Amino acid sequence: MRKNRMFASIAVIALVASSLVAAATGAQAATRTVTVWSPYSGGNLAMWDAAIKRIETANPGLDIKSVGSIDMAKSLAAINAGNGPDISISNGNGNLGWFCGTGAWQNLNALISGKNGINMSATFNAASVASSISNYKRCALPLYSEVFGFYYNKDLLSKAGFANPPKTTTELLTYSQKLTTFNADGSIKAAGFLPWAGYYGFDMDSMWLGQMFGAKWYGGNSSAFSTDRKWAEAFAWQKDFIAKVYGGGDFAKGSKLLTKFVAGRGGEWSGTDHDFISGRVAMKWDANWMSPMFCTGDDWAMADKCTAKVNFGIAGFPVSPSNISAYGSGVIGQGQMGISKGSKNVKDAWIVMKALATDTKLAVAWDGANGAPSSLLTKEARPANYPAWYQPIYDITEHPRTAYHTVQNTGEHLEESMLQNLMASWQAGDTANIKTALADLAQRVNQIIVRNN
Amino acid sequence: MSLTRAHAISPFKKKGDIAPPRKKLKVPRLFIFLCLSPWLFGIIFFTAYPMVSSFYQSFTKFNLIETPQWVGLDNFHRMFFEDDDFWKALKNTIWISAISIPLRICFAIFTAWVLTKPKRGSSIYRTIFFLPSMVPAVAGTMAFTYIFNPAYGPINKMLEAIGIKEPPFWFMDPAWSKWGLILLGLWGIGDTMIIFLAGLLDVPTSLYEAAELEGASGWQSFRYITLPLMTPVIFFSTVTGVIGSFQYFTQAYVASGQVNDYSHSMYFYATHIYHSAFKAYEMGYASALAWVLLVITLLCTLVILKTQKRWVHYPNGSLFK
Repeated sequence: MRKNRMFASIAVIALVASSLVAAATGAQAATRTVTVWSPYSGGNLAMWDAAIKRIETANPGLDIKSVGSIDMAKSLAAINAGNGPDISISNGNGNLGWFCGTGAWQNLNALISGKNGINMSATFNAASVASSISNYKRCALPLYSEVFGFYYNKDLLSKAGFANPPKTTTELLTYSQKLTTFNADGSIKAAGFLPWAGYYGFDMDSMWLGQMFGAKWYGGNSSAFSTDRKWAEAFAWQKDFIAKVYGGGDFAKGSKLLTKFVAGRGGEWSGTDHDFISGRVAMKWDANWMSPMFCTGDDWAMADKCTAKVNFGIAGFPVSPSNISAYGSGVIGQGQMGISKGSKNVKDAWIVMKALATDTKLAVAWDGANGAPSSLLTKEARPANYPAWYQPIYDITEHPRTAYHTVQNTGEHLEESMLQNLMASWQAGDTANIKTALADLAQRVNQIIVRNN
Repeated sequence: MSLTRAHAISPFKKKGDIAPPRKKLKVPRLFIFLCLSPWLFGIIFFTAYPMVSSFYQSFTKFNLIETPQWVGLDNFHRMFFEDDDFWKALKNTIWISAISIPLRICFAIFTAWVLTKPKRGSSIYRTIFFLPSMVPAVAGTMAFTYIFNPAYGPINKMLEAIGIKEPPFWFMDPAWSKWGLILLGLWGIGDTMIIFLAGLLDVPTSLYEAAELEGASGWQSFRYITLPLMTPVIFFSTVTGVIGSFQYFTQAYVASGQVNDYSHSMYFYATHIYHSAFKAYEMGYASALAWVLLVITLLCTLVILKTQKRWVHYPNGSLFK
């Protein structure tokens, strides 16, 4: 009897103790909160939140607070004030230097190589793996991509006797000479291709030009504008192209004619008088998200019904003869996310961030709605159905030489706008010596890097 | 002396009358403070604090994320000895000030003078000339970049029609872009013009009549009557013009974006401050630039104030003596 009473007491104590432990565990679980700030709204935020819901379901006890419509500047200010989120988003690689270099986002090396880590090169495409590093610190995981490729008007090329898009810069010049026509007053009527800073360029023309020649942006911690001769080669080609195609050998004449031609370009977002649609230009650099504009509607959901305002094709950039192995590649940028400095729950933030970066359902929905290919290598991250003409975009994404340039902390990617300014000055004939100008530019970029580090 | 009813209503009606002593209002100091508090709050938190803060930041390296680091005079040294964009922006700003301020004043005087002439419908003409100054700067600039577009803009079509074979590329040509901005400024002359119009209408007609009797020509009347009496308005416009032109931003920023002004021909001092703060995220350097701008503007204003004795004619004496 006494024994029974003792057992009963022990059992009661054990029950109470286990309840207390369970309650304590529950209380601890309830405090596992991760805050995610994103710039998304509307349908995009709904897709994002659905992914977050999936992560919560897969991780009981994890409470993820998603806040949309918060841009980069607000995130940065909050991180600085010490009340930032655990995870925030940057739209575009160019800003990575700013997030990483200033320490706003934490170095992820330990988490990536840790127990719950991630094999970057086996999970994401090469460009994305390279693009999540700034100042030699990997502080971001990639999300979706924007892909820049070479668009060509199949009808115009065919009429000029070309069955395929140009593969090299030499071919590009030949094609353009044949495709360019002039009015009776000598002005340009229709152009083949414009290697021109500011022609529908989103300030990235110089980056695309560099990609065609395989020019490097950095060597170690320093700008390679001066040390990598391919930059000078690229600019020399641009000048030669303008002279030969548009100026009949006279660069100044070609430059002036092109300035006027560019001034008369059709609206970029009008959907009707865009130069590529009207046939005013036959070939151009452009982003994957411009494709629907060239179809029946500018709504991405209609892209699969592309009856084409213009019969176009997409390919990799033509490349210089010395860079032929890069043919098929393009430029690619990513939306990225990182863990804020001051995050009190890094371990859980990593769980959430890794899950978001590898969520194929999110990737498929996002690509389907926005035309933004995933950074994931797996084919499961692509929509089940997409139009055949869109395949080259995925091919460019996967090409090993497709890249964004390496990133350093130069504020809001100042080196890009500075190079673009130089390209514009050069094409206008305001810069006499490109080598001196590139050396000067490299020096200025290096000064910025030193100042920001 | 007893006050009549009329005096009570208008105590100063008769010369020599003395105003009745005012009763001292007994208002609690707290109430006065409360009434002033919105203004005090505004001036302390939205003017004084940011000014003191930016003055401190001008001696720091501050990137919004990390704590500001004291760098002494480094920002100022960089500005004057290392930053080519600073000199480019300053040069462009001085250029636009030197050209636009006198042009705006001349154009405003002329327009105001023309508007004093119509005997009928003058208010309609005045409204028409004033209207452009009410157009938002962004909309006005976008319209100008369109009408001055070298390919399809109506201005160049007109110039070509009258025989100018190669009209300028305006905003797309570094050599002409600032002239485009000057024309945009002259188009929106309404605010300055209205001040000159008020000044012109204030000139006693008896002076013109006397001059006419003396046989003065129209030019002589303008030179020796109108212009001297307009000098206080010219002085005011010059001072406000200098302050405004050193802060010139919106039109230049919009036009630059519209035409991709990669050559920085429309890159002004205020653009450089904006660029340093919100593109390069160098708040310390941007603060230093802002303080140098304040000093430059103050110096220019002081020079104008000092020289006014030589050329500004105040019929009733100067406020700035």
